[in-house]
Amino acid sequence: MSSPREVRSAKQAEQEDLFFGQAVILWARWSVIVAGIVIVLWTSNTVDLLTRTMPFFLVLMAVNFFLHGRYVMGSPLNRVAVTAASVVDLVLITAILVLWPGAHGLKSDFFVLYFPVVFAFALVFTRQVEVAYTGLAMVAYAAASFLTDPSIITNGIEAKDLVMRLIVIAALGFLGNYYFRIQRGRLARASAGAKAV
Amino acid sequence: MSTAHWDPQAGHLLSPDGKWYWDGLTQEWKPATGQAAPHTAAPAEPPARPQPERGLSSFTGTVRSEDLGFGQPVLVWARWILIGTGLLLSFWSPSDPTTLKVQLAAIVALAFGNFYLHVQLLRGHPALDTVVYGASLADIGVVTALVLVQGGFQSPVFIFYFAAVVGISVAFPTWLTAGYTALAIGVYGVVSLATATTDELPAVFTRLLMIAAVAVCGNLFARSETKRRTEAIRVHDEMLDEIEQKGGTENVQPA
Repeated sequence: MSSPREVRSAKQAEQEDLFFGQAVILWARWSVIVAGIVIVLWTSNTVDLLTRTMPFFLVLMAVNFFLHGRYVMGSPLNRVAVTAASVVDLVLITAILVLWPGAHGLKSDFFVLYFPVVFAFALVFTRQVEVAYTGLAMVAYAAASFLTDPSIITNGIEAKDLVMRLIVIAALGFLGNYYFRIQRGRLARASAGAKAV
Repeated sequence: MSTAHWDPQAGHLLSPDGKWYWDGLTQEWKPATGQAAPHTAAPAEPPARPQPERGLSSFTGTVRSEDLGFGQPVLVWARWILIGTGLLLSFWSPSDPTTLKVQLAAIVALAFGNFYLHVQLLRGHPALDTVVYGASLADIGVVTALVLVQGGFQSPVFIFYFAAVVGISVAFPTWLTAGYTALAIGVYGVVSLATATTDELPAVFTRLLMIAAVAVCGNLFARSETKRRTEAIRVHDEMLDEIEQKGGTENVQPA
């Protein structure tokens, strides 16, 4: 089967993909914010703990309100800003894993917050950018796990859990971007029909 | 399915039966008989009777959806990842023979099914909708079985729900995505609530919410892409109409 003729320039295609795909990243971030706020309200037993953790999510919520508002108004962020905001998401989630009261690193249950963020990013960006971002998420999680408990290396069960989770992070990135590329092909065929006229 | 087609001699679109043409000026279909260059449509060939299929698909209906067909590679690869990772981890410090047997039996069964689906894709003949829906149910069932065998909430393999839901969310229509995701969340929620302590309930909530979040993101993206494609095809059709109004005779094909 011959590949469809892409009538948009690479830059145009990336800008369009970013414009239409940005909503997915925003919704993924909302899910992280909702999870964080519910967990804070649910598990905080003292005022001190509440005042130390809640502002973190309130700030993130305000930022996402701003970003979502711009998107709704038809002036979404550019590529660099979206990438930077997504990297900040990874930093935030890694910080939660390392600093959150209770279990840290590999023993923390918050590692699932990586999943929607990595998946949403993979649906919007080209393969190279997606691979870099997914790799960054994997390195961040592995580093957070090793730094908080270096004995993981010698503990077979924990090492197995870590490898399994890293594989699933990689899988979500791969699958998201795989679908993104399938959809690019379909859209290119439809657009090529329009431009051929 | 028959569609309108372009008549290069008369320079306009004709209906599938050749009796109507599209007037771009008035934006309506008109009888083709009153045209200066009447088009005599060849009698439509009777639709070919569907041949009975002899594969596994013949037991499950005849419907193949286009969107599901394009989403099937994602489902198949998600399942291969589940199978490969499951096999690797089964042999990595196995706990006891019974657990290992259940894991291997479930994974091998899934591998056979996925091999069939992958072969269908490679032949350019995606599996029927009902087969795909059934396979995704099997994914959720296998992951749930592994979770149950390993102690419910304590089991680390719950993360495979994410791989299964990712494929479902991009391939299935919204209502089915919602149904399958609700099933996964419901089943895993019940298992977790039955096996987790009170202190672990926030973790249960986080896991369930993230499964839902992944499903929402995937399906949101798939719907957005459908709209973009529809818009591109609409632009194409409008251009065809404009050319018709100008009396153009470019060699164009309907979308």
